[in-house]
Amino acid sequence: MLPPRIEPALTAQQKAIAQRLVGQENLLIDYLQKLEKHRRGRRAVVIKLSGLQATNRREHHIRIALSSFEGLVKQMKGQVFSLTNSDLVFVFRDTAADEVEAATVKLRFMFSDDPLLVDDGRSGKPSFLEWFILDRDYDQMLQFAHRMAAEEQDRRNQELTQNMAAKQTPRQMGRGDPLTPEVLAKVEESLVRADLSNMMRRQAICAIIGKAAPQPVFNELFISIADLRETILPNVNLASSPWLFQQLTEVLDKRVLSLLNKHDDRTVAGDISVNLNVQTLLAPEFLVFDDNLKASMRGTIVLELQKVDVFVDLGAFLFARDFAHDRGYRICIDGVNLESLPFVDRERLGIDLVKMVWHPDMPQGLMPNGDSLDNYVRRCGASRVILCRCDNQEAIDWGQSVGITMFQGRHVEAMLAAEAAKARGALRRRR
Amino acid sequence: MNVPVPGNGGPEIVTQESLLLGAAERIGRIREGRMAVQIHTSRLRPQNRQDGHIRIALRMLEPMVNAYRGQMFLFLNSDIVFMLKDANPIDVENMIYKLRALFSKDPLTYNDAGDGRDNFCTWFDLGCSEYDDFVDMARQATLEARKKVRSQDTGRPALRNLDSKALGGVMRSLKSLDVSPMISRQASIVITEKNTAEVMSQEFFVSMAELQKALAPDINLLSNRWLFQHLSLTLDQRVLGALSEAKLRKLPPSYSLNLNLETVLSKDFERFEAQQGSRAGISVELQVLDILADSRGFFQARDRLRQNGHQVVIDGLNELTLQFLDTHEFDADLYKVVWSPEMKDGEHSSVVGAALRPLGPEKIVMSRCDSEAAIQWGLDRGIQRFQGRYVDAMLAAFTMAACPNAAACSLQQCIARHNVITGPLRGQCGNHDMLDSSPTMSAPKARRKES
Repeated sequence: MLPPRIEPALTAQQKAIAQRLVGQENLLIDYLQKLEKHRRGRRAVVIKLSGLQATNRREHHIRIALSSFEGLVKQMKGQVFSLTNSDLVFVFRDTAADEVEAATVKLRFMFSDDPLLVDDGRSGKPSFLEWFILDRDYDQMLQFAHRMAAEEQDRRNQELTQNMAAKQTPRQMGRGDPLTPEVLAKVEESLVRADLSNMMRRQAICAIIGKAAPQPVFNELFISIADLRETILPNVNLASSPWLFQQLTEVLDKRVLSLLNKHDDRTVAGDISVNLNVQTLLAPEFLVFDDNLKASMRGTIVLELQKVDVFVDLGAFLFARDFAHDRGYRICIDGVNLESLPFVDRERLGIDLVKMVWHPDMPQGLMPNGDSLDNYVRRCGASRVILCRCDNQEAIDWGQSVGITMFQGRHVEAMLAAEAAKARGALRRRR
Repeated sequence: MNVPVPGNGGPEIVTQESLLLGAAERIGRIREGRMAVQIHTSRLRPQNRQDGHIRIALRMLEPMVNAYRGQMFLFLNSDIVFMLKDANPIDVENMIYKLRALFSKDPLTYNDAGDGRDNFCTWFDLGCSEYDDFVDMARQATLEARKKVRSQDTGRPALRNLDSKALGGVMRSLKSLDVSPMISRQASIVITEKNTAEVMSQEFFVSMAELQKALAPDINLLSNRWLFQHLSLTLDQRVLGALSEAKLRKLPPSYSLNLNLETVLSKDFERFEAQQGSRAGISVELQVLDILADSRGFFQARDRLRQNGHQVVIDGLNELTLQFLDTHEFDADLYKVVWSPEMKDGEHSSVVGAALRPLGPEKIVMSRCDSEAAIQWGLDRGIQRFQGRYVDAMLAAFTMAACPNAAACSLQQCIARHNVITGPLRGQCGNHDMLDSSPTMSAPKARRKES
């Protein structure tokens, strides 16, 4: 995890938006498209958890609702998708119709005191469940999926513009009471109980080639330190003690791993990266995480390590590196800024990726020791570099000029959002 | 993996070792197709056989042991033993190869005694006479484990790890603690062209064992690196304060101090600087960890120190940091490399030698030189600066040869008194002028390189 970054806390509304972590709208669309030729004998049901009152659709409600389909998924009788607005979609073979019906009865029972279900079924009222027979309703279903994807994108865009506006506010991290051991002890204690799932964020690492639209390569999952600060330690200046902050990240690591364990059905779908400390890789929690991953289908997982953490105990790092490689993880060294570039030799360290922190001085082409950045990138392998914290187009332009193809940061998010809006426009015109 | 049963101190102590012995005896009559391997994890360096390492080694072996319906045992000394039935030896060899690779940075896996023996693991073919060796090994291990468990029961309780809850209290006690009795000093020498050895600086540092005893006897202060690093900021202030008040007869040519970057840029350091004025130089020893955490801050601090006529030393470099980090990019005045006896071993020696070259031998201080061999290895590579117990002994011997009171002391006493700046040990010395002097000695003779 990078040291505390000056990052505005999210508003309540933004948090609500971000609360549904990894929406699977696009996965649903993909899946439906694959079913196009095999739609006979398949059905789908949408469980509209979004229509429930807020108190009834918290993280754990959704988890429980999801779990009622787990058995069917394991028996290969269907696929479940969790959407950003909390709705669930279950696509299944009609041989499982009865079992699905049974699952929905349980869900109705669970939420039976919610106004949505009290009035359910009366004409003119929105209903809790919507059924599709794909042989007949395929197009309708696909449209629904596209609409959901578009809505999700809108929410992200909205969040983004608000983020941009909020960026102008003065540093929030640099003020407040210093982080002391006593404060840290209290924070660690409250972290044991706190539900961090709504502080989990993701940011895409994208391939950007020439003028083509950014293509997400993997998603970084991380705990929003700004949110954490706001919820658990308001008025504490996390940047005041880098070492205590580092200790905090070790505690957070374990919480993140247990969170991912619980959520592997949704969060760990696809290619992701997580920030961990070297010591965490050697801890029992990581082995549990590794076990759970094997059980499910996993994509590529990138482990991001901090440069300080790597060099503090090279022996431990080399050991953890070999173990992680043996298990099929990729290793990325994170937070390499202009000043520390000369110390990070990717090849010698035997790591897969280097995350370089964008700095407006980079276009001058030199490292502090006078060597050329261009050379550095070439030696490292341009395809092994990710330029992160790209806040503007200048970052992308410079990166491309030295051959870098992978980018991350607010500007990349904005490009993704603009691209999605364009795609939606095209879709509308086609209709 | 078998679940260990903690011993209760009674006559029957069940350990993993005794479980292994039981298992070995049980298979006595049906040994056909069985084999066992002992991984000598206990022979690894302590830093390479911590819980995390062993946990992962066990994890790597687990699937194979399960596949061959085997059993695995973890000894108290952290050796791993597993037994397999009808195993494909190639599978086992591959797995051990992987495991060996994982520990490839430890001398155990790269040092070769030359007799063809494998130091890392021992194989037992239980179908033949090696069965008896195996049972002997298990019996011996059981006895040793019992002895260990018994002594642990009566021994001191283990130290607690430092956590954030305890840290606050430790820091408060430190703020009111007089650290001067815990300050050690150790000289570094430079071999000149005139073939003399001169003291170039004296390092002043807090002995961690002493500090722990005074602050928190039940806590291992070094067990959490990040928290210790935070604690060391307060320690820096205390040391600077104590040194300002130290009553030395003669100041060293240069104070060598282990400080955090943050301290170097603080008022406490400015005060210390002002107090020393031009009477003594200051060289600041910085940790790689601290520099990488704030490279920008490092370059600022380095330039500021140089402007004020001080030296910047990169501290604590070892074989690994030298190989994996372009240390010369720090552009420091001196680089302190920790000597280890493995450095002189064959192939390894040339690897370390090559890694040292970019730094320039004239900028290297070899520290922890506890033998003549260490100095010799350095001299052979053009290194001129040394620190360590061997140097301490040289200085004490030189002092005693010249000191009129020498008849009353032993060499060990003289060394011990050199190492402190206050307290009863210093009080026992009758010649503080000589104790604090920085003499010019004759250099240790460089033997001609054996070709």
